[in-house]
Amino acid sequence: MAAPTLSVPRRIWQTLAAIKTGVILLIVVVVLSAAGTVILQRPATDPDEMTRAYSPQVLRLLDTLGLTDVFHAWWFVLLLSLVSLSIIAASIQRFPNSWRFYSRSYKSPDEAFRRAIPVRALIPVNDHNEEKALSVADRVLQKAGFRPQRIVRENSFSLFGERHRFSQMAVYIVHLSLLLIFTGGTIDALYGWRAFLTLTRGQQSTQVQPQNGKVRDLPFAIRCDGAGQENYADGSPKRWWSDLAVVKNGQVVLRKQIVVNEPLVYGGLRFYQASYGKTGKLDKLLLTATPRNGGPAEELTIGPDETVSLDPYATVRLAEFFPDYALGDGQVYARSNDLQNPAVHLIVQSKAANKAINVWMPPIPGLEQNASSPYSFEGKDVQMAYFTGLEVSHEPGQWAVWAGVVVMGIGLILVFYFVHSRIWVAPARDVHGQLNLWIGGSANKNKDAFEHRFHAIVKQLESELKIFPQAELKKPFLR
Amino acid sequence: MARAARVDQQPATGTTLVLMVGLGVAFLLFMAFLNVVKNGNLLNDSNLLYAALIFYCGAGTLYLGFGITGTPAYIRYASLATWAGLLANTGAVAHRWYEAGHPPFASIYEMLLMFVWTLAVLTLIAEKKYDVKVIGTVTMPVAIVGVVLMQLLRTEVHPLVPALQSTWLHVHVTLAMLAYAACALSFALAMMFLIQDQVKTETFLAATSLFGIATYLGILTRFEKWGGLSVVAWDPEQKAEVFLSRGVRLYLVIPDLGWLLLLVLGAVAAPLILYSVWRNGHNKAMLDIANRAMFLSISLQVLALLFFALRARDGRYASLDVDGLFPTSLAASPFILSGLVGSIFVSLLYLLLLWRREELQRMLPGAEELDRLTYKTIAIAFPLLTLMIAAGAYWANRTWGSYWSWDPKETWAAITWLVYAGYLHMRITRGWRGRRAAYFAILGFAIVMFTFFGVTYLLPGLHAYA
Repeated sequence: MAAPTLSVPRRIWQTLAAIKTGVILLIVVVVLSAAGTVILQRPATDPDEMTRAYSPQVLRLLDTLGLTDVFHAWWFVLLLSLVSLSIIAASIQRFPNSWRFYSRSYKSPDEAFRRAIPVRALIPVNDHNEEKALSVADRVLQKAGFRPQRIVRENSFSLFGERHRFSQMAVYIVHLSLLLIFTGGTIDALYGWRAFLTLTRGQQSTQVQPQNGKVRDLPFAIRCDGAGQENYADGSPKRWWSDLAVVKNGQVVLRKQIVVNEPLVYGGLRFYQASYGKTGKLDKLLLTATPRNGGPAEELTIGPDETVSLDPYATVRLAEFFPDYALGDGQVYARSNDLQNPAVHLIVQSKAANKAINVWMPPIPGLEQNASSPYSFEGKDVQMAYFTGLEVSHEPGQWAVWAGVVVMGIGLILVFYFVHSRIWVAPARDVHGQLNLWIGGSANKNKDAFEHRFHAIVKQLESELKIFPQAELKKPFLR
Repeated sequence: MARAARVDQQPATGTTLVLMVGLGVAFLLFMAFLNVVKNGNLLNDSNLLYAALIFYCGAGTLYLGFGITGTPAYIRYASLATWAGLLANTGAVAHRWYEAGHPPFASIYEMLLMFVWTLAVLTLIAEKKYDVKVIGTVTMPVAIVGVVLMQLLRTEVHPLVPALQSTWLHVHVTLAMLAYAACALSFALAMMFLIQDQVKTETFLAATSLFGIATYLGILTRFEKWGGLSVVAWDPEQKAEVFLSRGVRLYLVIPDLGWLLLLVLGAVAAPLILYSVWRNGHNKAMLDIANRAMFLSISLQVLALLFFALRARDGRYASLDVDGLFPTSLAASPFILSGLVGSIFVSLLYLLLLWRREELQRMLPGAEELDRLTYKTIAIAFPLLTLMIAAGAYWANRTWGSYWSWDPKETWAAITWLVYAGYLHMRITRGWRGRRAAYFAILGFAIVMFTFFGVTYLLPGLHAYA
């Protein structure tokens, strides 16, 4: 077909399938992704740093070109799609040829082929030994794993054996795997999302906050039954954990303790341990209350805003808690979220006197009315509330990616470490009328190793064939 | 490096060198033993590493001796010394593993430990299986530099932060080391191919100079106002880098060091400039001057290394961000150190080529054989690279819930993969052989080096651990 008669779609197809196009596309991908690692990228870098790093004009230019978010820009996606198309086109265009080669092996070597093939050998044989020589060759090839076949044509017969023919098609397996990975990546880019969720002990949530966009509802609730941190002796963190429960229709359907490298998976969503920290809020306070008018001290546990009765006539409420308090302008405020210098504000309600008494631990002048309280209090233990930060991700395409990775691993092993090698054996007469066993071989890669093997096989053949003429000679004597 | 010069001056005859090296090794081991007896503790990773260093030095000298004189007897003793060094190195790895309770891949020190180990194994394999005897001439000096760097970068065993406690991470890093070692081997083979393929010695001069320029430019990205050089602050008690906040290191400025390095950059660039003058004018004298400039460049580079080591070793320096003086250490600047040492090493290799090209060519396998071996090593490296990326992605997915986040190290690993994929396609479908393929292999390794060193040093990202 002459070039001008090609239709436009056909020409586009041809261009896509050309290896040159593939290489140029790959170079463009390489250059653009390299640019994406040098230029600061948008979602990862905070806006302040961007404005510090680039002047407003440059930043505007980079933004318009999409260079501040290369890997999510439409043209990068387009480029990757073109790469995929190019792989598909190249594979489809080459496939028929490969398939023909694969399914219809060249089995019967003609004379031109016998002279052209570079790896070959000749072993002289006696005329009446032709059939025997071939059966010896058959056996030798069989032993070498070539599984020889007898090929009988109108005016010739020969042997053909081969190994690892499938490695010819392995490259398509690799290309297929690459497409699988791209498909998975595309599905995730389109339908996947990532979100964040913080929970404190006992809290549950049915909503998560994606990085960009509005709150998402989950088809179930996730509850935190506990979370904690373990440290090494030197104080650096060793392990973070959270006990999570999946609650559906009021029933717990799944429980799991997650740690940093071990997520919880439910309903296509995965929950990762991402962070852990102090909320600065109180979880539980352990107190002893001693009546001023004598009597035994009682222990009580109280949470924020919780009211506990002390006796039939008095209750106490935990009104405020400061993990690290400071005084200023006659007011108490929190300096930090670290439990360093705690202050507790209790309100004792006495029904008899019908008044509320402010109790402060430690007593804060101007605020405390500790002396008028019917009970004196002493703090025993403080349990702070910690939050656990969970990363939530939905990646419906990841299975295609992992399948692609496995297939690619297999494909690459087949491509690189399995050699398609072929051996032909045919009886042929040379110009002097001498009958020879012609042996030729070829391999699609690792040719030097194949040549070694080929010569070993030839040597084996030679030594086995030498035995025959003698055996023929001995026979009459034995009779 | 001094050993190379010594061997050059007196071409050893037969057993002289073997005897000298043997005595040297015995002497050093004896001194080390005395030291050990004094301190009590015999088997720990630092002593084992020291023993490995001594044996590798012996092996390196013998390999160099072989590289220069071609005396086959050296090879036997050189492999023997390599075996001994490898044994000690294995012991050091095992001890470190035992002590830390995790495979030694967590810090740059531990990675160097593994890298040197892999290099020694590959050297022995290349020598025994593929009969590339001269390979030790290149790899052993690299191993020596690695062990010396480790002596400087010695760190305590740090507990692993939670994100790093994963088998997949160990798989990932092991595969990375194996893949990178295979890439390094393919690079060395491609270089040897170019030597056998009659690429002119002048071209190697230009390439050496270019490598030096790239290295010094990379280091000088830390050039600060008033001619200082920024380095990371080091906490001598914690034996760790100082961070201002998560992922933000505290940088100190060593005054005047920037100017010195800028001067050395000039000296490193001089051979390339003289080379291009020669290219355009074909004035033979220029080439001689260029070769002399290489000597000057090497001396100045050694000077720069010395100054850097002296100034970064101790002393307290000011920071541009925080008031006060802070200490630093060589361990805080592994990349600058590797760059300085690496550039000197490459220049010395050029000298070896300049003086002993003919002998080298006689000893190396034929060009065609080297071409095939380059392809074979890449055929090993490529699947390893693929699995390395996959294992990394799987680990990231288990840790952060995302298998690919386009972080610079990831992106550059993908770029490396693409370049080697390009090489394979050109070779298999287009039949690229010889020089073009060798240049491609060299480009691939350059990108590997950038991914390994450059990305961590120059670009920010998630891979802050390594």
